[in-house]
Amino acid sequence: MEAFDKLPSEINHLVSEFVSIPVIGNLMSGITQYTFWMIISSIVLLVLVFAYVRRLSLVPHGIFMNAMEWCVQFVSKDMGKQILGPTWKKHFPFLATLFFFILVNNVVGIIPGMKPGSGTISTTAALALVTFIYFIGVGMKNHGAVGYAKSLAPKGVAFPLNVLIWVIEVISTLLRPITLAVRLFCNMFAGHIVMGSFALMVTLFAEPLLQHVTASSALGALPAVAFAAILLVIYAIEMFVACIQAYVFTVLAAVYIQGAEAEGH
Amino acid sequence: MGVIGYGLGVIGAGLAIGLAAFGVANAMARQPEVQDRVFTVFIMGSAFAEALALIGFVVALVVK
Repeated sequence: MEAFDKLPSEINHLVSEFVSIPVIGNLMSGITQYTFWMIISSIVLLVLVFAYVRRLSLVPHGIFMNAMEWCVQFVSKDMGKQILGPTWKKHFPFLATLFFFILVNNVVGIIPGMKPGSGTISTTAALALVTFIYFIGVGMKNHGAVGYAKSLAPKGVAFPLNVLIWVIEVISTLLRPITLAVRLFCNMFAGHIVMGSFALMVTLFAEPLLQHVTASSALGALPAVAFAAILLVIYAIEMFVACIQAYVFTVLAAVYIQGAEAEGH
Repeated sequence: MGVIGYGLGVIGAGLAIGLAAFGVANAMARQPEVQDRVFTVFIMGSAFAEALALIGFVVALVVK
């Protein structure tokens, strides 16, 4: 099985392709391939949204309008009303922006030959930082800076324990942006690595058959068919994951905002 | 070695997601009307557990 012998070096090559490489300018002040695809997906998102707003009517007609209406309702109902409660309308623009930006980025990244804008830690860290500042800001607006800091600790706990729990809560609050960023990045990165490895397996096993067609090379290429089938299944799962991760990121943002708004917990 | 370590680590995440699915299936069977809310909690819980496995995956790839 010489196909398996070649695999480690090919996988190293695959992983090295996920490093940010500038396409214009340099790494400090240029556009990397991730930024490039992020701009593309932002344009796609803007076109979709403006097409949607222009044709907005009381009764949606057609597949496109109904699909967009369903998506917006999904955000407002599942993430807005269910988690945030009565104040959901104030935070809906932020949550919807997060959800659709991440969703379009992830889905664009799934298309072969394209990269997800969210496939680099810099983008996801920026998104997580924005979320962090937003919910801290909401908390400070609702309780005041000192009041918000105090409301992190639960009420009705005796004095010494109170301080300990407050410290733990502060640490967990500071960890939130890190976990948000790493979760989205790791999902995209790991998913693409797995898809790439199975695509590599297919090419490695099918290579002898493409060079010269004989009975033995045809037999050796049989595993390629199985790997292609697995690749298709993983591709479908990745499409699901792209939607789920956008959902998870937004739901967590909503939960954090709700926690900042609530009267102590 | 990294692969073995990752395999060991992923046992925990697998158990966690399995437990979450077990609880959700139970809750939905007992009370079908709370399906929506239980599903949200399930997805969130799985995301937390899955993130650990994914961090392990990336660490296993990056640290040789």
